[in-house]
Amino acid sequence: MLTRRTLLRLAAVATVSAGRPALAQAPADAEWKKLVEAAKKEGKVVVYNGAVGTPALPKVGAAFEAKYGIRFELLEARASELRERIRTEQAAGKVLGDVSHNGSTTTALQLAEGTFQPYGALPNAARPVAPFKADGTRVPIYVIPYGILVNTDMVKPGEEPKSWKDVLEPRWKGKILSDDMRALGGGAVFFMVTMQHFGQGFHEKLAEQQPHMNRDLRGNYPRIARGEYPLYLPLTLPDILELKGLPVKAIKPVEGAPYVRFDGALFKGAPHPNAGRLLLDFFLSDEGQLAYGNLGFVTTVGGLESKISPEARAVAQTSLLGTTDPKLQDEMLKLAKQIYK
Amino acid sequence: MATVDVGIRAHRVFGRSRLARNLALAALVAVLAFLTAYPMAMLVYGSLHTTPPGEAGTFSLDGYRAMLSRANALVLLNTIGLSLVKTGLSMALALFLAWIVARTDTPYRESLEVMITLPFYIPPILTAMAWGMLATPKGGLLNLAWTGLTGQREPLINIYSYGGVVWHMMQYSTPFLFLLMVGAFKSMDPALEESSRMSGASAWTTFRRVTLGLMLPVTTSAFILSFIRGVESFESALIFGTPAGIEVITTEIYHLIHHVNRPDYPQATALALGIMVLMFGLVVWQWRLLGGRSFFTVTGKGYTPRVSRLGRWRWVTFGFCILFFVVTVVLPVGQLVIGSFFKFFGFYRVSMLTLDHYQAVWQNRLVWRALGNTLLLGLLGATATMMLGGLVAYVLVRTRFGIRPVLEILAWLPWMMPGMVLGVGFLWAYALLPGPIQLYGTLWALLVAYVTLGTPLAVRTMSGAFAQLAYDLEECSRVHGAAWWTTFRRILLALAWPSFAVGFILIFFVILRELSASILLYSVGNEVLAVVVMRMWTEGKAGQVSVIALVMLGLVFLFRFAERRLVRTHLGRS
Repeated sequence: MLTRRTLLRLAAVATVSAGRPALAQAPADAEWKKLVEAAKKEGKVVVYNGAVGTPALPKVGAAFEAKYGIRFELLEARASELRERIRTEQAAGKVLGDVSHNGSTTTALQLAEGTFQPYGALPNAARPVAPFKADGTRVPIYVIPYGILVNTDMVKPGEEPKSWKDVLEPRWKGKILSDDMRALGGGAVFFMVTMQHFGQGFHEKLAEQQPHMNRDLRGNYPRIARGEYPLYLPLTLPDILELKGLPVKAIKPVEGAPYVRFDGALFKGAPHPNAGRLLLDFFLSDEGQLAYGNLGFVTTVGGLESKISPEARAVAQTSLLGTTDPKLQDEMLKLAKQIYK
Repeated sequence: MATVDVGIRAHRVFGRSRLARNLALAALVAVLAFLTAYPMAMLVYGSLHTTPPGEAGTFSLDGYRAMLSRANALVLLNTIGLSLVKTGLSMALALFLAWIVARTDTPYRESLEVMITLPFYIPPILTAMAWGMLATPKGGLLNLAWTGLTGQREPLINIYSYGGVVWHMMQYSTPFLFLLMVGAFKSMDPALEESSRMSGASAWTTFRRVTLGLMLPVTTSAFILSFIRGVESFESALIFGTPAGIEVITTEIYHLIHHVNRPDYPQATALALGIMVLMFGLVVWQWRLLGGRSFFTVTGKGYTPRVSRLGRWRWVTFGFCILFFVVTVVLPVGQLVIGSFFKFFGFYRVSMLTLDHYQAVWQNRLVWRALGNTLLLGLLGATATMMLGGLVAYVLVRTRFGIRPVLEILAWLPWMMPGMVLGVGFLWAYALLPGPIQLYGTLWALLVAYVTLGTPLAVRTMSGAFAQLAYDLEECSRVHGAAWWTTFRRILLALAWPSFAVGFILIFFVILRELSASILLYSVGNEVLAVVVMRMWTEGKAGQVSVIALVMLGLVFLFRFAERRLVRTHLGRS
């Protein structure tokens, strides 16, 4: 488990514009040209996306199509549904998907189950900056940081919570709306990371605040804006860019943002493996990364800050507190159910 | 299942020869077995194996052991309680509304009939959104109006409660039950009720002992269908129940599949199969209730459907129907209409007025592709399902073949399985189908799944209708030389046309809204509307989802008025 000091150090590195890239093998030019030609012959690439509705991926797809003339096809479903689909396809020998675009926890579990194949040498594989690293099977594409959403009509500037621990103050009792921490999603990420950093006592006290929990992620933002509750957590920080015009504000607590990383990987038995590899490489290109960066997500490749809009950059520039450990997920979900009855 | 004194003589069914009859029956059983038993067998395997199909593992009863816990028993009791309350209330309301529309001289009955059924066609996620805004304790519009009128700070309604879950479920079950029963009410020869009145029975006694008595096949089928649907209801419980600590079997199953690191298919499928076994108890109850009795209301003697004259009370019944329409349609749909013109749902400021949502939907090629796919699948699926359902219903209700219990069980199976589990069954069944048949990944996988899902409804609808038709009608046709298929088509289906049309529309819109199987079976290029709507909803595009819902409502109006015209024409001819 990463200590707080190590994480803060790593977070500082992640926010520095130029990082030292990790060592990785790049293909020779001739080899890469052959791969590109083979990918074009394949003609299409099918992506299984677990981040349903993410606006970045269609933009990446359009740029990929424009650059290579390879049709980009997207199939979206929840992470668990995609996992069962690809497992069944591989068991039946009828694989339809090429590339996985999913959260790091699901990707790690699938890696352990033998769902992916190595992607081989990619020119951009060396670009991610620490703590992010392409490991020969997975490429880290982007990061979602989490914060707090406040209603600015109900919470004046001096009264905003500045740290995660401020939500434990008595004045917030019964006034917190929350993503369900007992189910997979942002709530579970927030629970696990803050449990690891602040201990069980933090959540026992938070449970006494009687947060109103549900799983209607997108429906919760308007409820905060309408004044049903003054606070919502955890906010997917990039979503604040879509809430312009509403009386809400994003808070980045001083301890840092719990985060979840999204990875790409190539399925075993993929019908278009070369197009798949090309796409994985494209995710780490400037065009691929900027599609995410300009929506407020944290990019895994450094040195692009000047190309990202100031508004999006302001959202993405945040210190990172920590992320989930797939091995502890089930245990944490059980603990959340016990604490938040 | 209704058994009657004398069934149609076996040698006349499906054809003159025994071979033709046996082949036809075998084909019917084989089709139903592929549609329903094959995916179920996959689920049974999943419940008895440590890993899902296609993965190495061992057989184990761990799933069933985990199922038999005190926590699950309490959740099951909660689920049954919710469904009983919901079904009882919806049944009473639907019966009253069906009687008003079908058997009284309430003005504008045809329009009322369409209006009363509208809530059924609105996607549940949208009515949940609308009712969340109307009745949330903190700032819901109805509660704000209550505070404004009375000065009371305590909210009048809290949608996040047991009552809220029941209320939301009733939005769908009441029009659903109404649709199932109104056709049968209309087909009843009023002479039967007149005989009762002439013999001295009061209007209430006649209604209770004659009208309801003769409607028993239809009402019990409708009750069972709706009760089972209530047990498997998911969105209402998830959105309004979970935040209040109210858990039901489907939210438990949802948690086991989607909210753990490794989906617990053994326990999830064991739970679903356990529910299915319990629900079969209801079906057996219906068999016992209806066994050996006759429910003919349509005979060879002609009749003219007549209505009861209510005098001034007809305006009271009219007002009641309008009130139902305002509460269940105008309020939530009003929210959708208004919400589709504002940038953010629930923020009604002039500065936020926009046509962006309409423009975005109009320009979204995926939406139109999905709509085209869905309409095609809906039309083909509803037609195929109603034909299959009609054939199965005929064998169940009008023959005495020994194979009937097998057909009945096969026909009921899909209705008793929660959609999210059945969707997994379809995925396993179609993807692992041996041989050269490539079903998975094609549009036909969706069609086959939809036919499977709709078959129980089709069989129930047509069984109720066929149970009301006397045998002399068929025998007359045969005596005049018509082959079995001609008699089936031109006599039985023609007389059961109102029920056929209702079943067609119900199944069409069930297909339009179906998500659990679609999300696991669709492929790129074969997207359907429910999947696209889910995607938009997850993206936070409530405004665009509202626009699509209004498009769907427009389709409903078209279909329902077309159906009303066709039914009137057919009833006039027959």
